[in-house]
Amino acid sequence: MWDLLILNPMVNLLLLFYRLLGHQTVLAITALTLVVRLAVLPLTLKQQQSARRMQELQPELAKLQKKYADDKEKLAQEQMKLYREAGMNPLGGCLPLLIQLPLLYGLWQAIMRTLAVSPLDLVRLSQNVYSFIPGLASLIPLQSRFLWMDLGQPDPYYVLPILVVVTSWLSQKILTPPSTDPQSRAMNQQMLIMMPLMFGFISISYASGLSIYFIISNLVTLLQYFVTPKPQPVPAGAAEAPKEPERPKEAERPKERPPQPARRKRGRR
Amino acid sequence: MNRPSHIYPVALALLAVLLLAGCSGGVHATTWTTLLLHDGTLYVADLEQVRALDAETGQETWAFPATPDLRQYGPFYTVTLLNDELLLVTSYERTGGGFFARSQGVLRALSLNGGRLAWPQPFTAGGEFIAPGAAGDGIFVIGNSDGNVYGLRIDDGTLVWQYPTRGRVWATPLIISDTVYIASLDHRLYALDLQTGALRWQFQAGSAMADRPLVLTDTLYIGSFDHNLYALRLTDGTEVWRFTGANWFWGTPASDGSRLYAADVNGNVYALDAATGQEIWRSRVQGTVRLGPALSPDGKRLLIASENGTLFGLDTADGFVLWQQAGQGQLGSMAIGGERVYVTRVNAPQRVQAFYVENGRPVWSYPAQQQ
Repeated sequence: MWDLLILNPMVNLLLLFYRLLGHQTVLAITALTLVVRLAVLPLTLKQQQSARRMQELQPELAKLQKKYADDKEKLAQEQMKLYREAGMNPLGGCLPLLIQLPLLYGLWQAIMRTLAVSPLDLVRLSQNVYSFIPGLASLIPLQSRFLWMDLGQPDPYYVLPILVVVTSWLSQKILTPPSTDPQSRAMNQQMLIMMPLMFGFISISYASGLSIYFIISNLVTLLQYFVTPKPQPVPAGAAEAPKEPERPKEAERPKERPPQPARRKRGRR
Repeated sequence: MNRPSHIYPVALALLAVLLLAGCSGGVHATTWTTLLLHDGTLYVADLEQVRALDAETGQETWAFPATPDLRQYGPFYTVTLLNDELLLVTSYERTGGGFFARSQGVLRALSLNGGRLAWPQPFTAGGEFIAPGAAGDGIFVIGNSDGNVYGLRIDDGTLVWQYPTRGRVWATPLIISDTVYIASLDHRLYALDLQTGALRWQFQAGSAMADRPLVLTDTLYIGSFDHNLYALRLTDGTEVWRFTGANWFWGTPASDGSRLYAADVNGNVYALDAATGQEIWRSRVQGTVRLGPALSPDGKRLLIASENGTLFGLDTADGFVLWQQAGQGQLGSMAIGGERVYVTRVNAPQRVQAFYVENGRPVWSYPAQQQ
């Protein structure tokens, strides 16, 4: 079922892009990444919006936690009441993320499968290619040479892993909301280091075609950040989100750090 | 600051890194293992070691290295018989350490008697050796994932020539007289001079070709991922006929002299007239079929191995599936000797197994199955 609904369409779309874009594997991976990111854009925006509204409620939530520190049941009731009044679901940010994850994982898997690094991978690929589209089999295997690299192998000079780390750090940095809570701030700092390093490690260990996907995906995140209209500042202490569900940027509260629009909690790809 | 509470996400990230590291290490098969039968002994590359097994009983005669040492040798994938004294084995070894480790294909010659190293130095290439090579007239020829075909001197493993193709070479070469025929994933079949590696002719198919061609008198037969099975004139590669199947043809066809037997990756098995390419019958087995069929010595049984680990015995008269024997992992290679068929498996506890060709009953397994 996974292959039928997710993997096969992506593999064949990648092959079609490869054919349309002059047998350039990097361009085909870029095109597929852009298409998938475009497809999940409404979900991404919805998730960002939910994260922003949750961020706006943080001062009020902190007050409630302080007020009902000794009564967990009452705290939960008051929190739910606050969410209701703000017109939001505390789990509202999770659903879009859960819907996106299979698509993004499918994209990763499609790239790895289509690059067919090993014979075992290539045999599996034979079951993913649509026979009813003429000529797709003739594209296999994809042209794997790009600059100094074999896209089916890790980059021997570590250029791509370094680019993955840098772009991951940048996208993680801009997507991490400022926090007044010391615990959250410490956690964000650690994630800001760990996540790029983890993707860097994957890039060193796996096919460099996958690194191309990471880099494109991070660049899309950065681009999305910079082209989205900037938020209008609102007075400090505003607990409720303005009733403008389509407004993409969060109102910023004065903090010890320079004003920065609050976005979603985690960087994703 | 309450450190333990915000250490969890970091710990999770570290765990993910460790899991990924685990996925990329250990005995992780990237291709299939192979075996060959020679003079009552099976020589098997089964990832950890190269083994000599008594074909009758499955008992191990010797192993190289004596104890598994993947850190030094990497996984062993292929074995090729060079002559009555030497065996050539390939492995994929890691050099360097940690994040900066790199892998290379390594060739070693071992003595058939005892598995001792026979060449002063191993031969190394940039990519993996996926398929066994072939030997003829003092030269050993093998293709590599780095896109080259290598010709080596059998006596000491020194490089005599190399021929670059535009794709990975995952096919076993076929040597006839003074010519090497070898397919590449660059969609071409090359005919090269055995002594010099000079190109004699090349044939371009519609897609990749990944296994050895079959030869019958003056015709070569080879399958391609473009769904076609081609018959080519041996002398110049001119196309004689082509048969179109339902999906990729990967493995080498089998023949009894007048008929060809081939399977596509969808599990369709075809019997064709070798002279004209006309279909005689068509059958179907479950699973993806990559390995070429094997024909019993009496020509009555056709054995088909599927990637889901099942071995099928078909009647060559009409393609009827007479028996099937399920098993774990993927079937890597097959060799028929007398009334038995020997197979290798990857990603399975039993790495080598023997079955009766007639009815598929198991004879022995290596390692022996626990009672």
